[in-house]
Amino acid sequence: MALTEEHFKKIVDKLVFMKDTSELMIDLAYSSLLLNSRALAEEVEALENHMDDLHTDFELLVLSSGFKPEESKDFLGLIRLGVVTEEIADAAMEIADVVLRGLEPHPILRLVIEEAEETVTRVTVSKTSTLVGKKIREAQIQEETGMWVLVIRRGTWWLRPRPDTVIKAGDVLIAAGYAEGEADFEALASGVKEPVKQEE
Amino acid sequence: MAESDKIEYRPISVREALTEMKDLSEIMIDLAYSAALFNSHELAEEVLELEKRVDYLAYIIDMNTMLAARDAEDAKHLTAVITVAAATNKISDAAADIASIVLKDIGIHPIVRKAFEQVEERLARAIVKPNSILVKKKLGDLELAAKIGVDVIAIRRHLEWIIDPSEGERILEGDVLIARGAPHGVDELKALAAGEIKEME
Repeated sequence: MALTEEHFKKIVDKLVFMKDTSELMIDLAYSSLLLNSRALAEEVEALENHMDDLHTDFELLVLSSGFKPEESKDFLGLIRLGVVTEEIADAAMEIADVVLRGLEPHPILRLVIEEAEETVTRVTVSKTSTLVGKKIREAQIQEETGMWVLVIRRGTWWLRPRPDTVIKAGDVLIAAGYAEGEADFEALASGVKEPVKQEE
Repeated sequence: MAESDKIEYRPISVREALTEMKDLSEIMIDLAYSAALFNSHELAEEVLELEKRVDYLAYIIDMNTMLAARDAEDAKHLTAVITVAAATNKISDAAADIASIVLKDIGIHPIVRKAFEQVEERLARAIVKPNSILVKKKLGDLELAAKIGVDVIAIRRHLEWIIDPSEGERILEGDVLIARGAPHGVDELKALAAGEIKEME
């Protein structure tokens, strides 16, 4: 059986998603340390469980692609790349575990991570938020708050935000940006108030 | 296989060493994926060079952290430092694993490369030859970002790594520049560094 283009697209999509997820996990893990935040550390843990499933799906997809013997080296490369994203996710989990186990991060760690200007935060979209029912493109989150959404958790699903993704009440948005935007972002998602608009 | 370098204790700032390690591990991941996508042995070799530095830092951080503990309370706090250093080291190991895939010619399926190649930016390594016009110039004066759309993200000078070099940093003969930019821009930087072209368009 020849490898169909559709099958291959699935493999590539899955790999890109695993790569993005593992990198997101590192960002979240360092942020959980910086803020000594159990909430963020728990997201890393949830993503780690999700990664395990993704990785299994990915390996099954690769193995079921019906490649020819002479192509096996190329496919081994794919399998190995998948393993690497899993290793990175494990490393992120080890960092988050420091927080989950209540080992208070040493001040040195805070200094090391603070050298980065960006922060990562998570909020749950409340029913009263103006974001509910809007597409990411219409929500103008980055324009309003300076934070951009990295990933959306909906129940046990993780979605990569695309311009057409519709935000629902109960979604957990994980966003990165400069620390100043955090309060505006939280207000916007929790529906407490409209974000403060800068007067021009 | 080459013999590993011996590790000697050296008093250092754990904060500085861990910051360096974190920065290096992040650059390594970027470099390693680029090496895989463009099947670049050059970039893969740089990843392994960085890996040596990170391994060294990991040992030194462990030694200094152990010496810093005076009582059980200290030990508890410092365990977090050791755990984070170990995890950061693991990230750099993962990058080195990607580099090995490339260097062992296991290969990445060409269709995957095609899918990733649409990424507009790429990383590249440029070695500065003695007859290059870049020699002795300050990075800021070269205005590489404005002129050819390339950003030098790191310089390797023998065994030293200069991460995110400042505008005042002077480029020396033999420097290895790690740069990020559009494909034609990084090709131009390589030609400039090799002394093949003498001016920027």
